Amino acid sequence: MSTPTYLIRRALQALAVILIVTIVVFALLHALPGGPARGILGPQATAQQIAAFDHEQGLDKPLPVQYLYYLGQLAHGDLGTSYTLNEPVSQLITERLPKTLLLTVLSAIAGLLLAVPLGMWQAVRRNKPVDYVITTLSFIAYSTPVYFLGLILVLVFSQALPWFPSQAPQGHTLGQVLSDPQGLVLPIAAGAASMVAVFSRYMRAATLENLSEDYVRTARAGGSRSRAILWRHVFRNSLTPVVAMLGYYVPVLFGGALVVEQLFNYPGMGLLFWTAAQSSDYPVLLGCVLIISVATVTGTLIADIVQRIIDPRVKAGRA
Amino acid sequence: MSTVIQPGRTPGTTTPAKSAAASGTRLAVRRFLRHRLAVVGLGVVVFFVLFCFAGPLVYSTDQTHTLLHQVNLAPSGTHWLGTDAVGHDELGRLMYGGKVSLIVGLAAGVLATVIGTLWGAAAGYAGGWIDAVMMRVVDAGIAIPALFILLVVSAITTPDLGGLVLILGFVSWLVPSRLVRAETLTLKNRDYILTLRAIGGTHARAITRHILPNSVSTIAVAATFQIADAILLVAYVSYLGLGVQPPATDWGGMLSVGLTAAYSGYWWLILPPGLAIILVVWAFNAIGDGLRDAFDVRGRG
Amino acid sequence: MTADQSPAAPAAGPILRLDDLGVVFTTQSGEVPAVSGVSLSVDPGETLALVGESGSGKSTVALAAMGLLAGNARATGSATVAGTEVIGAGETALAGLRGRTVSMVFQEPATALDPLTRVGKQIAEVLRNHRDISAKDAAAQAVELLRRVGIPEPDKRASAYPFQLSGGQRQRVVIAMAIANEPALLIADEPTTALDVTVQAEILDLLRRLAAETGTGVLLVTHNMGVVADFADRVAVMYHGEIVETGPVEDVLLRPSHEYTRRLLAAVPRLSVAGEDVPETAPAAASSAPAQAEPVVELDDVSVVFGRGRGAVRALDGVSLTVRHGETLGLVGESGSGKSTASRVALGLIRPTQGTVSLFGTDLARTRSRARRALRSGIGVVLQDPVASLDARMTVGECVAEPLRVHRRALSARDRQKRVAAVLDRVRLPRDVARRAPRELSGGQRQRVSLARALVLEPRLLVADEPTSALDVSVQEAVLDVISELQAELGFACLFVSHDLAVVQHFAQRVVVMRAGRVEEQGDTGTTLLRPETDYTRRLLAAVPVPDPVVQRSRRAERLTTLAAGRTEATA
Repeated sequence: MSTPTYLIRRALQALAVILIVTIVVFALLHALPGGPARGILGPQATAQQIAAFDHEQGLDKPLPVQYLYYLGQLAHGDLGTSYTLNEPVSQLITERLPKTLLLTVLSAIAGLLLAVPLGMWQAVRRNKPVDYVITTLSFIAYSTPVYFLGLILVLVFSQALPWFPSQAPQGHTLGQVLSDPQGLVLPIAAGAASMVAVFSRYMRAATLENLSEDYVRTARAGGSRSRAILWRHVFRNSLTPVVAMLGYYVPVLFGGALVVEQLFNYPGMGLLFWTAAQSSDYPVLLGCVLIISVATVTGTLIADIVQRIIDPRVKAGRA
Repeated sequence: MSTVIQPGRTPGTTTPAKSAAASGTRLAVRRFLRHRLAVVGLGVVVFFVLFCFAGPLVYSTDQTHTLLHQVNLAPSGTHWLGTDAVGHDELGRLMYGGKVSLIVGLAAGVLATVIGTLWGAAAGYAGGWIDAVMMRVVDAGIAIPALFILLVVSAITTPDLGGLVLILGFVSWLVPSRLVRAETLTLKNRDYILTLRAIGGTHARAITRHILPNSVSTIAVAATFQIADAILLVAYVSYLGLGVQPPATDWGGMLSVGLTAAYSGYWWLILPPGLAIILVVWAFNAIGDGLRDAFDVRGRG
Repeated sequence: MTADQSPAAPAAGPILRLDDLGVVFTTQSGEVPAVSGVSLSVDPGETLALVGESGSGKSTVALAAMGLLAGNARATGSATVAGTEVIGAGETALAGLRGRTVSMVFQEPATALDPLTRVGKQIAEVLRNHRDISAKDAAAQAVELLRRVGIPEPDKRASAYPFQLSGGQRQRVVIAMAIANEPALLIADEPTTALDVTVQAEILDLLRRLAAETGTGVLLVTHNMGVVADFADRVAVMYHGEIVETGPVEDVLLRPSHEYTRRLLAAVPRLSVAGEDVPETAPAAASSAPAQAEPVVELDDVSVVFGRGRGAVRALDGVSLTVRHGETLGLVGESGSGKSTASRVALGLIRPTQGTVSLFGTDLARTRSRARRALRSGIGVVLQDPVASLDARMTVGECVAEPLRVHRRALSARDRQKRVAAVLDRVRLPRDVARRAPRELSGGQRQRVSLARALVLEPRLLVADEPTSALDVSVQEAVLDVISELQAELGFACLFVSHDLAVVQHFAQRVVVMRAGRVEEQGDTGTTLLRPETDYTRRLLAAVPVPDPVVQRSRRAERLTTLAAGRTEATA
């Protein structure tokens, strides 16, 4: 498949996925007890107030009509208005999304930088003590709820040893956030832990599989040494499936950010979402879910494109 | 033609054939037992099941009444793990909450696997546009992080135990559905299925007699990992405000309640439930890993 | 990195000497000896063929000589390459030897190359492993090597990825890597087994030319007696991990002294050639039916297109063929010729894009699904892969009984068992295999179970898609014998798909030769495969090596002359 055809097809698929997400979001909105009006006007609203609101907002129309109306609003970038903060949801999200992206991308990079070498090391030392130790630690990291891990990190590295602040950097712009790199260490560590666990397992499996491939034997028969084969051939071949998995890991990263931001009071989308949940601020909740889904779908798309670049077979449709 | 010697397949060393089905199972059991971490994991799970369900028979405590005369006591001879903010014995509470965590986790994990298996097998076997549409739905489900959905749900309602199992099952069936679909795709092009189709066998027979029995190992492995994930999710649920209502509790609930106490130095309120969650989830993951090696199943690292 | 040592071996003495070589694998069920007491030698410029069936240990010997045995293998005895001991040598010593003094060509060109590295770079890597040259020089030499192994436009191809090359070209790249440093010994492990016959002939020509040019000694590991006759100077026959017979190729192939060699050679299907003594043709059609017996399955102008738009592939293009009652139709062609697709269309597994398929006189496209299923009870199927053909979760008895469960649902369990036992008798398997698991059976036994399953409903048509190509020749002979005997007894028609012209010549009364999705020619086996009408069939037949070194030598010369003539014609 040629690159433009591929991109168009892939974009259409992404659009279909997002459309399904809007249906889910819309359904959630209407699953609220008393409908959106009750959510927005609060539990004290009378039946008359609700009826008036429904009429005003077009909520007495048939559901499909309302869905189309909702889509129309989305198309204009209108995600509604937060009723606790009295600001357009789109504006709230625009302010906070970059910070969340910063946190997740840094966590992902930190996680991968650790996971990839660890996984390869395990594969090379398969069934040796170091393999067992890393496997055990990986499973522990994977099994620890992020909020518990965050608490332990704060207790150890902020309370007992005063190395890092227990609060993430505050501030409105990315620049302000980045000006306090110390404050980012613990949130990133908490966000990256389970990623290290998952991806060191993937990398271990992929490396083991590649080490038993025929091409390794061919390279050995040509006089290449094990170390050279590992880095020149096995490494690249093992990385390809790992990149593909990265796309599916994006939602998990965002899920982690939700907890990490709340825990370290980091002013990103996760925290916005969290406070909105506490105050039943539905427009914000649903807007966030939608934007996170778009971000996830975009992340998956990027992972696919990266895979296409590093593996020529994918482009030719042979893999 | 394979010319590389296959160990164990050399002429003259054919293993004596006894009961066919048993030898396959026995081989899998042997491979599983050689996986040391998995055996340890199995031991951990057995221990916690006994601890939570048989433990209260031996170590009986009052978990319903508020006992204000014994609040936040440190571990001692009478209360091995101390007491919490309303005077409940922490060790007894660990057993009491563990029941909920284990039952909800197991049920939700199994539910997710069942939904995922049906969906994935249907999509993979149907193929074509049906498969495409069904998998876009899975993509959409994956695109919304489970924790976000749980938090939205928590803003709307507070479910009972059954509701909790349903909600957890419905946010986590996506991964098993992808695994089973992949398995179905390879199986449906196996020669024995093609042969069956060619002589006029029905789709129903292909699915029930061949595809599902041959996917059992994949499904079992997926279910084990899914239970691990579900127990972990249960631990998040209370933290997100969806948990079971007091005086009932689960490990996640104990941990969330203990979070505020941690800074006061009441370590016995967070370490035991935290470690219990980590150990059990770790154990199920280790078992899943061992099962995968034993069955020689691919997928999920 | 030992650039200044001379790459050539000491002139005197053999380049490879194995002395009492033994290899033991450590497995879950204990120690399994794979090779024992193997002694042989290869002189510079000489080709020694190591032949045997699967499991004979011949590949293990080759890997041991390279020091490439798997981690669970232990080698004893001695293996010296150019005077250097390989057994027990460390990585440094082995790495210095491999790719410089001794090289290897492997069986599977599809997986032998790193899929993500350009082929030129992979060749350059072997060069730079042993010589102190710049990356640029190495790249230039890699292009030169590609030219030597006959890759067209080598400067462009050097930057191709392996998946962009055909199987034959990939094997040429592997050979280029092997000869990059002009080794004194080349070990070729089934180098042409995964390739089509015409490509096989080209690769063998290439290896022969390269070996002759540089005086390289060759250890050729193969199961194919035709390849041995074509290429080897001397032959060593392996059986159960030991060498049973060694000698010059004429002696071993024409006057074998060991009982096993004689049996092996007797089982090899030989391609009869025009001008030779009276061809041994296939047995006449079972019912000695008139040439125009009723058609059992008929493909009429069938085309199959996979995919849509620009990416569409036309797998079949206007194919018409008929299998008649009681006869065997051989469907032959190289990979990608569409022969398997055609058989699957006949089975109704692939719906034709165009044209009609009639089964037992009924147009499949016009039947309702229930009626179509009933029609299909008259079909039996045997496919290629002995492992994938049987569901590992069922017993052999359940596998064989499956067609009965589909079409004879009224049958009682006892009757079903009787029918299964009877059909197992027919394919000459002991009745008690019914209770066993498929994995406990050998490949040949499994294919007979597939055959039993195919015949349990006493079908009118048997479709066999490469039923024996995964089997050793001696096993192949037994399976084919069972099929033809039962055909004589039961009178079913047979559509027999195979890449092996010799097998088809012995087995089928009529043959259809396919090429690139079309029918190239068809006719009686005796006529078409002895005096073919098209150039393509002629070339196909000429490329098949026969297991007689004297005959094969003249066939090769003839083939090369024809090819050269064709080439001058084309350029003229």
